[in-house]
Amino acid sequence: MLQQILLEIEKAQGPLDLNNLARKLGIERSALEGMIQFWVRKGRLKDSELETELNCDTSDSTACGGSCPGPQNCSFVMTMPRTYSLASYDSE
Amino acid sequence: MTAAGIVFNHPIYVEYSREIETEIERLCVAIEQLPELIAIYSPRWLAIQLLEHDEVLLAEVKAVSGGASVIDALEGSLTRLEERYGEDVDIILADYRYSFVNSLVRNVLTRPAVQPVNISDKIDKVVTHRLLGIPIFLTLMWIVFKVTTDIATPYLDWVDAVIGGPITHWTVGLLGMLSLTGTWIESLFVDGIIAGVGGVMVFVPVLMSLYLALAVLEDSGYMARAAFVMDRVMQKVGLHGKSFLPMVVGFGCSVPGLYATRTLENERDRILTGLLVPFMSCGARLPVYVLFAAIFFPQQTGLVVFSLYLLGIVTAIGLGIILRGTLFKEGDTTPFLIELPPYRWPHLKTIWFYVWERTSTFIRNAWTIILAASIVVWFLMATPANGAGAFADTEVDDSAFGMVSGAVAPIFAPLGFGNWENSGALITGFVAKEVVISTAALVYNVQDVEVETRPTTFFEDVVEIGVGFVRATVDTIKSVPLIIGINLFEGEGEPDPTNLMAAIQVNFEATSGGHGALAALAFMVFVLLYTPCMVTIAAERQELGVKWMWFSIFGQFAVAWAVAFIVFQGGLLLALG
Repeated sequence: MLQQILLEIEKAQGPLDLNNLARKLGIERSALEGMIQFWVRKGRLKDSELETELNCDTSDSTACGGSCPGPQNCSFVMTMPRTYSLASYDSE
Repeated sequence: MTAAGIVFNHPIYVEYSREIETEIERLCVAIEQLPELIAIYSPRWLAIQLLEHDEVLLAEVKAVSGGASVIDALEGSLTRLEERYGEDVDIILADYRYSFVNSLVRNVLTRPAVQPVNISDKIDKVVTHRLLGIPIFLTLMWIVFKVTTDIATPYLDWVDAVIGGPITHWTVGLLGMLSLTGTWIESLFVDGIIAGVGGVMVFVPVLMSLYLALAVLEDSGYMARAAFVMDRVMQKVGLHGKSFLPMVVGFGCSVPGLYATRTLENERDRILTGLLVPFMSCGARLPVYVLFAAIFFPQQTGLVVFSLYLLGIVTAIGLGIILRGTLFKEGDTTPFLIELPPYRWPHLKTIWFYVWERTSTFIRNAWTIILAASIVVWFLMATPANGAGAFADTEVDDSAFGMVSGAVAPIFAPLGFGNWENSGALITGFVAKEVVISTAALVYNVQDVEVETRPTTFFEDVVEIGVGFVRATVDTIKSVPLIIGINLFEGEGEPDPTNLMAAIQVNFEATSGGHGALAALAFMVFVLLYTPCMVTIAAERQELGVKWMWFSIFGQFAVAWAVAFIVFQGGLLLALG
């Protein structure tokens, strides 16, 4: 069951939507989310929200908020969808 | 879904494979030797927890007298199971548990034969469709820029009139009361600060409309779909599927776009995407497009702005393909899962928050960076460079600014805008792209002094501001049908161009040998693609490293020059413009 998630992501030809994957595996989306979190904890999947601090590093003066209209707290950052990618591709 | 009437009158165990059950039993035997542990825990439960590396329980077992025998048994079990499965034991156990839960759910739940499809799924079937997805994205973006340019224009004119009228009058009046009329201080305030900062501030309504339209798309959940749809395209052309996410962020500003590249796992993809992000047209470039499109393409302003945004995307993808085939050759695309939020009606409060946050930041910047840049440019324009004239009393082309800009101007001659005014505006655009407009306002306005015919009273000015606002609101409402091509302004005639617009038009016609529109298009393309602002460069240095920062600085300049050259010279060859 768990391995199937990784296999489906690996063989996908493009970005895979969470709803579609849940449908494909015949499981509830909430159950799939739990499984994904398991893989994130195990380090096999990378969660974009954990990987990136989109909110700028305010201790760094070069971070958002200079002349280009980037505010101190990056209000220009659009709310982008959360993504999970295979961690094994890291080492490439 | 309905639950079958199952009564649980006995404990249910997750049944693992024979090998795992054997090891659990072995561990249970070891645990049962320790009364201290079995007094608290079920041996089977404890054995499974230990196989799953529960740190707390491991420490507890180690602390118990005789616990070492359990740990020895555990290590043996783990070794055997890992050899057997080639995987961490906790993963195997979790997999069994999820399979057990899944089969349990299948047994106790009756699902409808046809899965219900909610409204989000229905919309997604169309919006993220393989063929329809891209045209829908482009159509929505076109509407965004139509709204941005057509709807906001009346307010733009109103702000322009307020800054050029009452605010200038009040400043001049105030300086007159301080006996500063005709001094360099008056020139600094009127020709420097008001012309420079005011020149950018007039575009606040346009930016507000852009942020409003983007906020609606974002809050409704559409922007996530746009990223999803474009990701598929990116993967098709060999770029990383996640590359478009930072690029979408780059529509607001390149700086957060660059930080968003951190979502890309490997360095090669991160650098490549980071190099492409600045080609996305940030909000700061919008005033330049709106001004030049309004001068040279008044009937197609929205279309021109939309085309420029599109050109940014196309250029980024094109360069991405080239770089992927040369400098970033190796590697495969990383597959990934994307979590699309359900669609929802945008919340007014959230929309207002987005719009206000972004607009107020732009205004704050206008009073800091742009103010400073305007003062520096004014100072350089007021300083004579070759001994002709005195401070604040010199011809601009004899000033330090004119001399430096004039030296650079020949680079832009093949692009159709090779004079010191335009090269000066582009140089200062390195500080921030909006500064291109404030510098243009300074260099053109100093040659085009408006003569005041009748002084107005403070009360008349306030009334005029109020009346102008009401008029702008009415015109904005009348502008809405423009989106679908219905012009309610027909017969009212085109508004008179401002002094700045007229000066720019004359200037571009002169530098391009009568092909002003073509030169203006090349200029906008150049502004879209050339070296990013200094804050973006600082972010590039931080995110991509010094080498790639320099690559971006010179690379973008070269790309901008080449594309602008193609636009202008190609247009001449095809007898366009």
